[in-house]
Amino acid sequence: MTARKFLSGLIYTLSAAIGVLAFISPFFPAARSAALGATQGQGTGAMTMVTTTALVLLALTALLVEMHGQAMAAKTVATLGVLTAVASVLRFIEVAVPMPGGFSPIFAPIILVGYVFGSRFGFLMGTFTLLVSALITGGVGPWLPYQMFTTGWVGMMAGWLGRLMGSQRRPSGRRLGGEIVVLSSFGALWGILYGVIINLYFWPFTAGPTIPGGPDVEWSQIASQYVAFYLSTSLVWDLMRALGNAALIAALGAPTIRSLRRFRRRFHFTVESPHA
Amino acid sequence: MEPFIYCENVTYTYPEAHAPALADVTLEIERGEFVLFMGPSGSGKSTMLRCFNGLVPHFTGGAIQGHVRVAGADPLRAGPQELSRIVGFVFQDPEAQFVMDRVEDEIAFGLENAAVPPEEMRHRVEALLAQMGLSALRDRPLETLSGGERQRVAIAAALVLRPQVLALDEPTSQLDPHSAQEVLQAVVRLNREDGLTVLLAEHRLERILPYVDRIVYLPGPGRPVVSGPPCDVLRFVDIELTPPLVTLGKALGWEPLPLTLAEGRRFARRVIPSPLPRHASRPPSRRTPPVLWVEDLSVSYRETPVLRAASLSVGSGELVALMGRNGAGKTTLLRAIVGLLPPHARQGRIWLNGERLDDWHTAEICRRVGYLPQEPDALLFADTVADELWVTLRNHGLASNPPISPPELLDRLGLRVQATAYPRDLSIGQRQRVALGAVTVTRPRLLLLDEPTRGLDYPAKRALGHLLRAWQREGSGVLLVTHDVELVAQIADRVVLLEGGRVLADGPPDAVLTSADIGPFAPQVAQVFPGSGWLTAEDVLRGVEKGK
Amino acid sequence: MRDPRAWATWVLTALVVASSTRNPLYVVLVLLSTMVVGGSCASDANQGRQAVIAPVRFAAVALPFAAVFNAATAHIGEVVFFRLPSHWPLIGGPWTGEAMLFGVVNGLVLTTIYSAFSAFNRAISVRDLIRLTPQAFHEAGVVLCVALTFVPQMTRNLRRIREAQAVRGHRVRGWRDWLPIVVPLLVGSMEQALSLAEAMVARGYGAVSERRQSIRTQVTLVIGLVTLLIGWSAYSLRAASPTWRWLAVVSLAVGGGVIAGVVIALGQEASSTVYRPRPWIMADTMGMVGCVAVWGVVLLGRGALYYTPYPHLSWPSFHPLVGVGLLGLLMPAILVGGARGV
Repeated sequence: MTARKFLSGLIYTLSAAIGVLAFISPFFPAARSAALGATQGQGTGAMTMVTTTALVLLALTALLVEMHGQAMAAKTVATLGVLTAVASVLRFIEVAVPMPGGFSPIFAPIILVGYVFGSRFGFLMGTFTLLVSALITGGVGPWLPYQMFTTGWVGMMAGWLGRLMGSQRRPSGRRLGGEIVVLSSFGALWGILYGVIINLYFWPFTAGPTIPGGPDVEWSQIASQYVAFYLSTSLVWDLMRALGNAALIAALGAPTIRSLRRFRRRFHFTVESPHA
Repeated sequence: MEPFIYCENVTYTYPEAHAPALADVTLEIERGEFVLFMGPSGSGKSTMLRCFNGLVPHFTGGAIQGHVRVAGADPLRAGPQELSRIVGFVFQDPEAQFVMDRVEDEIAFGLENAAVPPEEMRHRVEALLAQMGLSALRDRPLETLSGGERQRVAIAAALVLRPQVLALDEPTSQLDPHSAQEVLQAVVRLNREDGLTVLLAEHRLERILPYVDRIVYLPGPGRPVVSGPPCDVLRFVDIELTPPLVTLGKALGWEPLPLTLAEGRRFARRVIPSPLPRHASRPPSRRTPPVLWVEDLSVSYRETPVLRAASLSVGSGELVALMGRNGAGKTTLLRAIVGLLPPHARQGRIWLNGERLDDWHTAEICRRVGYLPQEPDALLFADTVADELWVTLRNHGLASNPPISPPELLDRLGLRVQATAYPRDLSIGQRQRVALGAVTVTRPRLLLLDEPTRGLDYPAKRALGHLLRAWQREGSGVLLVTHDVELVAQIADRVVLLEGGRVLADGPPDAVLTSADIGPFAPQVAQVFPGSGWLTAEDVLRGVEKGK
Repeated sequence: MRDPRAWATWVLTALVVASSTRNPLYVVLVLLSTMVVGGSCASDANQGRQAVIAPVRFAAVALPFAAVFNAATAHIGEVVFFRLPSHWPLIGGPWTGEAMLFGVVNGLVLTTIYSAFSAFNRAISVRDLIRLTPQAFHEAGVVLCVALTFVPQMTRNLRRIREAQAVRGHRVRGWRDWLPIVVPLLVGSMEQALSLAEAMVARGYGAVSERRQSIRTQVTLVIGLVTLLIGWSAYSLRAASPTWRWLAVVSLAVGGGVIAGVVIALGQEASSTVYRPRPWIMADTMGMVGCVAVWGVVLLGRGALYYTPYPHLSWPSFHPLVGVGLLGLLMPAILVGGARGV
């Protein structure tokens, strides 16, 4: 493995770690009590929120810089832009039409595109779709970096899944049964996971004082508190999202993947892989 | 001295192609010339243009041989990014060339890429907006502009790097005649006043021939490329590619070949003006009820009336052409018939084969009506051509008992060989025929076509005409929305003119197409032989024959 | 005030100050300021009304919800409304007035954030936002531009395709019926993307030679990330002792600085420029001054901003100086001349 690849992998791992840490900050006593404003003063609480958001932004930035390391050809830029537009328009549906629970039509395309075109493309598409759809639906808020980061990872992992299953090497005519089952499960899993992660962001805000304070509290206690909170509030929401993702992929996944692969073949469309 | 632009023994093959797109082409072009590239679809005009700015082979791949030089630079080696300062390129589709959504930003995009300093950028953008007459539009979102305005923006965006050559690949094929005129005039001005060398690939030759200094004719595989002054080259060009005036000139031996209407009229005066009646079109059978009857149709969209009490009818076996300026309500009329408009937006009565169509769902209506929308690609999604036909049959529940068997329909459409091909891989004319198959597999009594000739060359248009005539013979009625006067002159039985939502004229072509209402876009032959009732070159030739 | 960078700073400031305090008086002051600024950005009377109505509507939902939720989950305080058996999970125990008040203030903070972002959305167009992309991410900026340009196009494509399929007898009844709509949309869009790519290349896009990530950049990034990691771990796990806290703050600052530095350095290397038809003006500077005042209050007056109703209910304090400082948020409303489009 060359030095570049190693460093690349390192950057991915570190950013992921930072992201995860920022998300689970409510579980840590010091950060938490600061968020409550119970001891240090409420300024620190805000500082903590700013810090965690800044951390997520920095991790996101590092990943983006890493991805820009290779020049993006016009074909990639144009296709990425257009596919982001398609997925963002789907978000309109989510916003305008009352949907059951947390169902969101944007995850399925991001997963499928990441699966066929690779992890770098999937990450960028996830990140940009959230950004653009937030801009056009007026949903910009301090939670946006978290959404972008998480959805980017969904796309990236779909790309890794693709590499694992040899997606890039497959000709476009084959039966896709097995791949669709795997992708549907992937979509369902992330439907729930996404909710768990994003909820972590809102939790200290809404349930601040209930979280036990003080430095001697075990984090397992806090974790169980969060589980209780989650189960009582957002589980149903996320179940809807998970089921929606699975259903969309199961129903429309195979022809979509076929078309995407065909497009790649017809136009010799190569997307630079981050580990090339 | 080396010519300004030249290519020598250029042979190019697209990746995975069996035959070369360009075979041993050698050409020279002088600075400041206005060069027209003509030839049937697929003959390599677009490919040739792309050789001059390096898109071939850098963007398209494939294998190329030979030398190309443009103003001293070598596009084959340097690539399109470098050549962008020498050759500006304008593409065909006004909807898919723009990165930004505002006029100003789009023009500045090229400058950003070239890292021009901001002060200089502002200066150049201002100058270009003024030069192309776009200053009033500078802040407008691009999607609110008309096709012609958008192409002018595309030209401005291509010119912002001060290139010496402007290449345009069928810039007017998606535009209506008015917008096309706007764009071509702008290009001519750039050539005449600013000395820009222009390389233009076009099918619509009528308006551009008078300004052309040189024609490069690519006849297709196996035949050599011909290059020279217009009158010389036109002698070699196949009849079906030339505008009616030139066709006439060649047939009647007019020398030098007339390129403008004025020149045509000078020759026309010598012809004995014996106004013979046109070859009689099939008289609409008056016994059977009309296939389509529209009465007093009024449609408003957001409180602006689009159609005002419009009425028309299409008889069995009749081909009616619906013409009018953009925004006159033609597409709206078609959509009203097919049920794509919300019921509260329209008033009036529509009868199809004697039945009222008021509350029917689009899917039901389309069993009896075949509607070909403006963008036939929107229909295609199946894996093979034959599948497209089967999808429609399944949708209507006719799969077990199809009104026409798909293989038979494919035969008629000339697509038998392509039955298992992927539809989107086919040429534009073939794709349109697949779409036509998909909507006619239910054997409808009425065919509605919305601007089917966009982007088609003359041979493809003739093929379409034949197809329509076959359906007419079976008794179906055809309502054709189009801007293409020459086509209408050849195949229509009746012409309906729509203006501002109202029916302005309704009658046989020789009456409507020569009336004042049609404006400057009357057929060339009609303008050159006013008052004679002749509309096409064939009419004139028959008239001359009879006169002898 | 019209530069998108100034507005971004403004909304960030509003966000920070709103989250920094639970003193209802200060929160209401900030909320009103954001509403006034939002109104000043309105392009017509209707929008102006919306600047006030929308946050009020938001508050009407958020306040009661937050109040009830907080009362139900925090059981601290002396003014007790009623009691539920203590062994009930989460909601058992006394439901107190202090908790309700805290909940209300939480709701007000949320409303303020909402109002600030609404004003921001009204003040600058989405296009201007994209211009904020750092030069190092020029390609990302172009992707975003393309995406924004194509959104209306996609909506139109969607409609065209639905009609085209309806015309061949298609009806949408189940999940699978979306197929004839989704596939042409995707394929058609990608074909358009290729035409677009061709046009971009013909206009000189990508003229810079393939930029490969230098090892130096990668290493720097790794250093930055590791520093951040150290900082955050120190903060989260050992915040009790001051030395660790210091280490944490320094590490976080250094790590952030390093990464920001990489972005700036890459930006300067980038070989493209940005077309800015509207340069920075005085109103933008004055807006920044206002934000500085607010940041001053936040950083230096932390004690003054502090308020908690627990464990005894008490009147919130109000320092005039702090109030004036917070009014710095109003600056964009005072300098209306440069609002969007003008």
